[in-house]
Amino acid sequence: MKRRSAIKHIGVATGGLIILPYACAEREVALFSNLQNVKNNEKLLIGSLSNYILPEDPVNFSTPEPRQQFVLTMINDCSNESEIDLFTRGLNAFQEDIRSKKNKHFLALNAPEQEEMIKLYFESKSLINDFLGLIKKYSLLHFETSENYLTTYLKYEFMPGRYLGQISIT
Amino acid sequence: MKKNVNTYDAIVIGAGMAGGWAAKEFSEQGLNTLLLERGPNVVHIEDYPTTNMQPWEFKHRGRLTQQEIKENPIISRCYAFREDAKHFFVKDKEHPYQQIKPFDWIRGYQVGGKSIMWARQVQRWSPYDFEGPARDGYAVDWPIGYEDLASWYTYVERFVGVSGNKDGLDTLPDGEFLKPWESNIVEEYFSQQIRKHYNDRHVIYGRCAHLTENKPIFVKQGRGLCMSRRICQRGCPLGGYFNANSTLIPWALSTGKMTLKPNSVVHSIIYDDEKQKATGVRVINANTKEYVEYFANVIFVNAATLNTNLILLNSKSKRFPNGLGNDNGLLGKYIAFHNYRATIKAEFEGYPQYTTEGAKPTSHYIPRFRNIYNQETDFLRGYAAGFVARPVRETIREGYGDVLFDNLLKTKETGLWRVSSHMMGETIPKKTNHVFLDHNLKDQWGIPQLNIDVDYDDNDEKMILDFFEQFSEMYSKAGFVNIKTNDDRRRPGNDIHEMGGVRMGKDPKTSLLNKWNQMHNCKNVFVTDGACMTSTSTQNPSLTFMAISARAANYAVDQLKKRNL
Repeated sequence: MKRRSAIKHIGVATGGLIILPYACAEREVALFSNLQNVKNNEKLLIGSLSNYILPEDPVNFSTPEPRQQFVLTMINDCSNESEIDLFTRGLNAFQEDIRSKKNKHFLALNAPEQEEMIKLYFESKSLINDFLGLIKKYSLLHFETSENYLTTYLKYEFMPGRYLGQISIT
Repeated sequence: MKKNVNTYDAIVIGAGMAGGWAAKEFSEQGLNTLLLERGPNVVHIEDYPTTNMQPWEFKHRGRLTQQEIKENPIISRCYAFREDAKHFFVKDKEHPYQQIKPFDWIRGYQVGGKSIMWARQVQRWSPYDFEGPARDGYAVDWPIGYEDLASWYTYVERFVGVSGNKDGLDTLPDGEFLKPWESNIVEEYFSQQIRKHYNDRHVIYGRCAHLTENKPIFVKQGRGLCMSRRICQRGCPLGGYFNANSTLIPWALSTGKMTLKPNSVVHSIIYDDEKQKATGVRVINANTKEYVEYFANVIFVNAATLNTNLILLNSKSKRFPNGLGNDNGLLGKYIAFHNYRATIKAEFEGYPQYTTEGAKPTSHYIPRFRNIYNQETDFLRGYAAGFVARPVRETIREGYGDVLFDNLLKTKETGLWRVSSHMMGETIPKKTNHVFLDHNLKDQWGIPQLNIDVDYDDNDEKMILDFFEQFSEMYSKAGFVNIKTNDDRRRPGNDIHEMGGVRMGKDPKTSLLNKWNQMHNCKNVFVTDGACMTSTSTQNPSLTFMAISARAANYAVDQLKKRNL
């Protein structure tokens, strides 16, 4: 737990530039044709928010791509027009609300302040709640399709070669 | 000179399941055979690009992009058109057709056709299925019965490999089976409950075209046992399930008598008015768009149901101005399909102490029980159904941060089971359900597009209501709870079981093909894919297509030897 928290806070402290094994890959230019109005620092914010919502653990739950890249790819490629609209409006609303309430960028807030704001948004029914929900949806997909999660926790087997229909749980 | 080079004993149009069988039979028996396929080649193993990819290796984790969905509204509605197998499906824009009424035409244009992505469920028809039209007065009488096809079912099953149980049911004859996978505790329970409460209903293991035992014939084919990967739609490098690519095509090629020509779009069949027979086919190279003609004594049309109709409708001559063999004007008419709109699901709290381990590529099956021996409902015919029972694993996705992370790690078996069934209803072939050529709209090869005018009818609607009623009762009697029914109102065609248009029959006035699948009016042209079907029954049709193809091909060889063709 502490280790995951540490990873999370490093990520936040470095403005989302989490030092991960695939950090180099993250720096590669990724074109998101449906997110052209989203600035680079906002993309970093998405990565940080995703990591805040569901801490990334690339050591134990490694994935082929970093979370930020995956979430942005899924929003860009697989979200319909209304979801992309929700995402862009939600992103703006999130930043404006943080600025109006804290007069700072989210990444410049300290950990308790970040927690306060995220808690507030998750407990409210609002555009920002929906926006964070979209990030959560793809963060979950990224985590739940990691090799370790699938094999260890969901009992995924690529080539089981058997079917046992009456296994006792106890 | 060119004619000699392009002349074969037999031409088969379409390298899918039915065409593959015809080509195998011909080449095995020494006929110089040309197998034409409009799409590219798909070589077993070599051309299965995603077959060994893990879930996390897919960029979109199996999902389609919005652009793909937007560009392909029709094919996107197919359950198997996903990131891992999308390359095997025809894209909407590449091969347009016209929908007079909404119809999802799901196609696979490549060597192997849809046999690469099929659902692999294989059940024989019973005598009651062949007798249906005669007894109930719809469509036209079948010219063959179960006894004509039984030995060919056996012949095909031995080559294909079918996992199944000997159930001893007259409504679903047993075949040549390899051992079944184990049933789970709830599948067994439901089967017992249905036996206890009903005399006429059975819940059995779903017979499927997977290898569960090794036999010399499969070794010879180079196939191995199914490893229950359940990603068959990508193509199986083990050959664990049957597709044309792993068996029929290499088998036929190994004879040295078959020539496979992919990227060969058949424009039409050439009919010689003087010889009063078909002499060959006109083909357009899919890439260069160059025309070429091939010649043979016998031609098998196995382009998949609706394309077979299209080719025959487009095969016009002085003798057949309305399409080859179409003296009675019925070519393209009496199209039918399977009604897959209805599903039911529920939960079961029994056997909380049990779960399953591993996987199997099939589920359970409930053969048709309505109107078998007598007409007992206000609709004709009936439906079969699947039955799936799976233990529920619960994952809590509440919260965020470390709470969410920890919740995800607490995923566990709940002891609850989810059960579901889907209806597979017989639809009644009707003259008004038809296809015809659109001479104003052509595809990129200059071939007229197909107009498809097919719809459900009142019989289908009544059948859905009956399925809901009967299965709600069956589920209730078994103690299942939270029963929910759903009519997804999917379009015809989405079942991927379209049949008819070139139906078999006894009388040339009311059918296109005789009992050997020969065109009544052009004896050296045979149709043995889904287009030949007089009625549809409820079973997944591929096994019957294959048995019909093998039977007709052997008849054609016999007739060629006797110089009757």
